[in-house]
Amino acid sequence: MKFTEDDIYRLSSQYKNWSFTPSQLAATRLQTNIQATEHIKATIARQRAARALKADPEGISESERAGSSLDNGNATANGSGVSSGSGTPLRADKEVDCLTAAEEKKLVDIFCEKALELGKFLNFPIEVTATGIQFLRRFYLLNSPMTYFPQTISRSAMFIAAKCEDHRITAERYAESLPNTTPESILAPEYLITQALRFNFDVKHPFRGLKGGHLELMEMARGNAPAPPKSSASGPPRSASTLEQEMRRLPPPRKPHGAASNLSTASLEKRITDAYTHASHLLKTSALLTDVYLLYTPSHIWLAAHLLADDPLTTFYLGTKTPPATPLYAKILTTIRSCADMLAAHSSSSSSTRSAPHADPDPDPDEIPRLMKKLRNCRDPDRIDLVKLQEGKKRDALATAEQGADGAVRLEESKAKRRKVAREGFQKEADEFWGPALEAGKGEGEDEEGAGWDGKMEGGERGVEDKLVRQVAMRRDGG
Amino acid sequence: MSKPSSRPGAAASKDGDICPVCKSSRYLNPNMKFLVNPECYHKMCESCVDRIFSHGPAPCPIAGCKYTLRKPRFRKQTFEDLKVEREVDIRRRVASILNKQESDFTGLKAYNDYLETVEETTWNLILGVDVDATNKRLKLWEDAQRAERHSSVNRPSALQGDPSAPSESAHVVLKKGNLQRKVQTAGNAKTKTTAKTDSSNGTPEPAAHEAGAGRTDAAKKPDTGFSFAGLKAYTGPPKAKPFDPYGGYDFAFQYYTLQPDYTVEWLAKPKVDPENIGGGWDIADWYGCAMFDAFSGLGVFIGDEVAEKERLEHVSGDGEIGTRRAADAAMVPTGDVIMDDVF
Repeated sequence: MKFTEDDIYRLSSQYKNWSFTPSQLAATRLQTNIQATEHIKATIARQRAARALKADPEGISESERAGSSLDNGNATANGSGVSSGSGTPLRADKEVDCLTAAEEKKLVDIFCEKALELGKFLNFPIEVTATGIQFLRRFYLLNSPMTYFPQTISRSAMFIAAKCEDHRITAERYAESLPNTTPESILAPEYLITQALRFNFDVKHPFRGLKGGHLELMEMARGNAPAPPKSSASGPPRSASTLEQEMRRLPPPRKPHGAASNLSTASLEKRITDAYTHASHLLKTSALLTDVYLLYTPSHIWLAAHLLADDPLTTFYLGTKTPPATPLYAKILTTIRSCADMLAAHSSSSSSTRSAPHADPDPDPDEIPRLMKKLRNCRDPDRIDLVKLQEGKKRDALATAEQGADGAVRLEESKAKRRKVAREGFQKEADEFWGPALEAGKGEGEDEEGAGWDGKMEGGERGVEDKLVRQVAMRRDGG
Repeated sequence: MSKPSSRPGAAASKDGDICPVCKSSRYLNPNMKFLVNPECYHKMCESCVDRIFSHGPAPCPIAGCKYTLRKPRFRKQTFEDLKVEREVDIRRRVASILNKQESDFTGLKAYNDYLETVEETTWNLILGVDVDATNKRLKLWEDAQRAERHSSVNRPSALQGDPSAPSESAHVVLKKGNLQRKVQTAGNAKTKTTAKTDSSNGTPEPAAHEAGAGRTDAAKKPDTGFSFAGLKAYTGPPKAKPFDPYGGYDFAFQYYTLQPDYTVEWLAKPKVDPENIGGGWDIADWYGCAMFDAFSGLGVFIGDEVAEKERLEHVSGDGEIGTRRAADAAMVPTGDVIMDDVF
């Protein structure tokens, strides 16, 4: 069985899990947005109901009804269901103004740009930054910025990318170099991100591909590289010297229909290097900040960037790979052109000499603060403090039991109990094998030995249970 | 004392505790051990063996026994009945020479015929019928088998130095061992002389092996002692294929031909950087990776292929599965929730 380059690409996780058609991409984003919106509205409503319960024990039935009506139909919960309620200030901010899918995408784009700056600030190689940005984009395909705050996630994603791309840095050092960051806040969303990435840590970048193409173009210009065997529809493939001659006669880059020039080898090499530099710049900016990674293969992406840099050269180069008369050639060219349009449309490439056909109008300067403000008002209250959530996940929600009065975050009692039983089982097994743990420097009585660790935990558990019982009793009394 | 019986083991139960050579009894020496030699199977105690055979081969001390024995071959008997001991020895020897399996024959009939021949040969030796002729045939067959297995025809790779094939020196050692054994046994007894002379001068006697004579073409084929109808020709072990690290898969890159070297400015330095070269880093590998990256996925059109994949997923499966899937999709909201939120 023979594998071609394309077959091997089809085996990659980038192709299998992270390639979409534009419509799929839009649908996924919309769905993510809808789900997050529903979830957040329900959570906030529940929280408000709980707060109302605390503040105003008499009006419990009222507020409960309000909460349930909000829970049941988010679409209809525009206040009509609770219009009969007394005008407490709690009811005033009834509707949460959630972000739309388009606003979410804009926010993610903004934070991707921020992540690019973050990479520059940390002096990361471009591969690390690029991987981090792609992790961020992939993450927010299935999670909403309203659920998880993009800044936290982007810092953590960049840290994961550094590990994936062999640019090792400890969490402590990484956190030190950023303001208002602790190692815990970097590590807390780590598992969340890796799971959202489906544990696909490999991002295929177009950078090395561009270098490969550049190398071959240079050899072609010197007359050293013949066309590959299948490049000609009829007859033998063109020889190296033919290619060189053809290459010299290419029209100049900016005017595709201009007069054919006959370049010297030196100026031809300069032209190739210029195209490479320009394409490389495009790949490091606009390619990272648009959706091209999700819509095209890395091969198409670098060719698109090269096309933007030097159109005749790229089309000629593509012609040496597959005969220009075939449908494959036309299809590749169409794909590349659409990718190139996408790259050119991004604002970061507007500084390039080639005019972007339909670049976005300059974004509103107030847009970003407005979006950020909106985001602040519609964040998922359960997932604001990821560090605490992570701690709660690790142990039996000792910390989280305090937080979240509505009980959404708190680990259920049965779950906590199950974990405790499992842990005790492990401990017992370990004790059987290794013997009980040594009590270092305690020097207490025999009966205290071995009971220290477990006893303490049990005490903690009991405390939580007592608290829960008290809460439940309070609620029952109130009702 | 009773005179030692010529038939081994006959008086074992009666004189079991008294050495027939030195007449010492187990009553006096509780640690006494009795040993036999597979030449004549006469029993004697350990101290007698030490005493008589320590200085080299000596004739069996039992009166009337004509065998010359050597010390290393003495051993403890396994079976109480020495007849059984002898039969087991003979069977072991025959089985090591006539060692074909059913898979070596074309059919069950041929294999059964072979087994009959084996049994006949064994019983000939046990009962002492045609012992010389049978031994000679066995010897011829053994040599023929060895020659077949070690012949240069079946070892085509030996000259190229295939490590899996038995080495030339091992072959020599085998031959040498064989030769030594021949010399040892040569002076042994008159009974074996005919066989020895025949095999040493290499010209087989056609009359001595009727079974072989009928079938073999004496002019062409050397005599092998036995010949079995339906025995498959020895083909040797299957030739080991050259190791293929990709397990049958191969790469056929269609968009580029890798050049041995590429010259660009920004590669000039890393190419000669001792930090890179010292670590065994090869720039050619990097060329390969770069060219592969450049064209991996050039012919993959995500827009078409992903849409096609999605369509196939919708179409595939019978109606029931389809509806169930639809029901599942309706029941469980996809996306964020399926992502099984960690927190």
